[in-house]
Amino acid sequence: MKKVKERLAPFHITILIFMIQTGVVIFSLPRLLAQNFGYNGWLAIVIFTCISTFNIFLISLVHRLGKGISIFDILENSLPKFVAYTIYFVMISIWSMLGCIVAKQYVIVFQMIAFPTTHPMFFKALVDIIAYLLITKGIYNISKAATSFFWIVIWMVLLLTFFIHDFEWGNLTPYLFKGSTSFLKGGLDCYTAFLGYEIALLLIPFAENHKKFIKAVHIGNLITAITYLLVCFVCFGFFSFGQLTRLKYPLLDLLSFIKLPFIERLENLLYGFFLFTMLITIVMYCWSAIETLQRILPKVKANWLTVFVLGTTFLIAWIPDVIGKVEKWLQFLGYAEACVAFGLPTLILIILRIRKGH
Amino acid sequence: MSIFQRIFFSRTKKENELFLPLPCVELTNDRATFPTLQHTLDNFINCCDFVHRTLPEINVDLVYFGHLLGNDEFMRDIATPFANIQANEVGQLLQRSQYHQILDSKSLIKGILDGEVAIFHKENVYLINAYKPDSRTVQQSETESVITGPHDSFLETAAINLSLIRRRVKSSHLKVLKLEVGEVTKSDVYILYIDGIVNMEYVNELVKRIKSIEIDAVHDGNMLVQYIDDCPNSLFPLFPASERTDSAVSRLVAGRVLAILDGSPSVISAPASFFEFFSSPDDYYQRWALGTATRALRFIAFLVTVTFTSLYVSVTTYHYEMIPETLLLTITESRSRVPFPPIYEALLMEIMIELLREAGARLPTKIGQTIGIVGGIVIGQAAVQAGFTSNILIIAVASSAIASFVIPSYIMSASIRLIRFGLIILAGTLGNLGLMMGIALIIIHLSGLTSLNTSYLTPISPMNFKDWRDVFVRAPFWALKERPSQSRSPNLIRNKMKK
Repeated sequence: MKKVKERLAPFHITILIFMIQTGVVIFSLPRLLAQNFGYNGWLAIVIFTCISTFNIFLISLVHRLGKGISIFDILENSLPKFVAYTIYFVMISIWSMLGCIVAKQYVIVFQMIAFPTTHPMFFKALVDIIAYLLITKGIYNISKAATSFFWIVIWMVLLLTFFIHDFEWGNLTPYLFKGSTSFLKGGLDCYTAFLGYEIALLLIPFAENHKKFIKAVHIGNLITAITYLLVCFVCFGFFSFGQLTRLKYPLLDLLSFIKLPFIERLENLLYGFFLFTMLITIVMYCWSAIETLQRILPKVKANWLTVFVLGTTFLIAWIPDVIGKVEKWLQFLGYAEACVAFGLPTLILIILRIRKGH
Repeated sequence: MSIFQRIFFSRTKKENELFLPLPCVELTNDRATFPTLQHTLDNFINCCDFVHRTLPEINVDLVYFGHLLGNDEFMRDIATPFANIQANEVGQLLQRSQYHQILDSKSLIKGILDGEVAIFHKENVYLINAYKPDSRTVQQSETESVITGPHDSFLETAAINLSLIRRRVKSSHLKVLKLEVGEVTKSDVYILYIDGIVNMEYVNELVKRIKSIEIDAVHDGNMLVQYIDDCPNSLFPLFPASERTDSAVSRLVAGRVLAILDGSPSVISAPASFFEFFSSPDDYYQRWALGTATRALRFIAFLVTVTFTSLYVSVTTYHYEMIPETLLLTITESRSRVPFPPIYEALLMEIMIELLREAGARLPTKIGQTIGIVGGIVIGQAAVQAGFTSNILIIAVASSAIASFVIPSYIMSASIRLIRFGLIILAGTLGNLGLMMGIALIIIHLSGLTSLNTSYLTPISPMNFKDWRDVFVRAPFWALKERPSQSRSPNLIRNKMKK
């Protein structure tokens, strides 16, 4: 009996996109919106959703014009090897480091709130081991795990109902985007919360249903947008604007207010639940880096490439040692990834256009 | 003769081999393997249970294992006919269809071992089936008891197990194949499926796997599973083994393949998903709302047994802020006399519970109950008073242990109990993050598992919402129109069998 040919069903692509997008930025997103978009900054999420939807539209053009062919094949067939490999190198560096720094920020926040005396790299090593186990299982098993993780975390949206009583409509104010704003640079910082959908470019050859592929990516992006919108809306209504601009991680503070008869200060436990979304973000960025690296080194086993990528990034992750530096690294990597998200499909579209012209 | 031929083309036409394709008697002129009485007796030398009867007046020799035969069968087909005939009538008698002429020694030896009587007459050898060994009567299963529904369960005799299934599935579509495992024991394995409902790829795959087993003996269905499942190193059972007839039949009708090992009351079914281990046949014998509530209770029990003790350890070791003030006073007071960190305390009590469970399972029922009382009440109370452990932990460990027994499958329940230890250690060393890491590891492991090459996490991944109606809830029967997607049945609709 042949093993059942597994392909990524549209539902799994939706979940995967949502899980990649939901990363560490969600903890600070309400603050970033308040700082950069002023009063009612949560509405800026609608603008970001439109931008990400446009970006997905570019990916859909790549998918349609490329007829479901892998982007690596398109690049390698059209560009000189040297140029293609240079692009690959940039992509590998950005993706692997992004995965690594997301992990580092997650563990460093956990270390701050629960284990102040333990070195964060110890936790990072453990997260990397789990990531290794998942990456080596391949994209189909990653998607299976992502779906299970999704059901473990999505219920947390219901926790927002705890704040209905304490929600102050007055905190929302009648002003829109007023205050000290920074639309461009701050907007870019906020937009990094949406990044992750661009990995869909690499999922094209694995899709089960090419007709529904892009729809699935759009739905994934929409679920992320709705989740962000709900979280930020509640944060803007629960905290005053002044509080929101000063809180480091408003979402964690929000969760700390949840009280049950036999348990309270749940933020610690709920932060643990975010490990699942974080893990998929880390795994998928590293998987993308390894897939790209495999094009340069096709003869090397994927397991060894995984060890190499995770090992190298682990060593680099020692450099940013405090949360401020980690956030700075994440910010710059976010900018670079935003460039990849728009640049890569644009480049491929140009190539496909030129090829079509020829 | 190849293994395939041996399995599908039987040389002897036993009554219980009615499921096989037409028997094929292999005729050979090879005199070296031609069966002779002396050769047969030589083979069974030093077997004191081997019987050799000579009837010199009619020139007949009978050889057999007496304890494998049924008295009635022996009297009807052998003793009475041979007692009432003359020497010249023997040849005519042996022409009857129940006597099969054997032309090679190997088949003869196998036939005798299978409970047949060998009849030597002049130069010819015949076998007649009189197999009917003693077995216990059909009883209620001790490991899978139910309140409502059928109480009969499988036995160690494959023929009885087959009859229990045949009684429930009166259809010529129910097919049975016979295989053999164990180089020494030569145990029979029967593969059952319903033609037209099952996906034949599963049957072929299961047959292939069973045929590829190379071992001297397989003693039980649960042992057989470990030779044929997709990941023998996994803690989780990949094929459910049940002693309940209704459970086996429901799986058969759902498009699964069953395997019955002679000598084992555990009937295996394949493929299966992780969530299948949480359903019990009596879910269907209650009103659907009750069935759904019971199923939900089992999933809650699963969460409790996996996380409760580890969460206690995590919270009392690293995250005291999570305990409300009123409860904190009680816990602090309870823990104040305990000199160990919560992880040691929890591991100690969990091991104690496992000791009690194991002791209770090995001892006779009445003594087992005493052990439960001594262990549960006396030791538990004494441990608290001696300052070995806290009251709250006793509650956590006991709840966790009780919850583990709610899971209907004993093997799954045992696997989950073992996983709990890993989670306690992770929670004791890394707090809530460790607990989450442990859960992540379990899910990653489960994601990679397959059962007969299908996803073990069906219907979550691959996602199939329709299946949820019969996995996470027990929907009303009008809503259960389709067979599980995992069966990949060619006849997916349940209520359209009549053509």
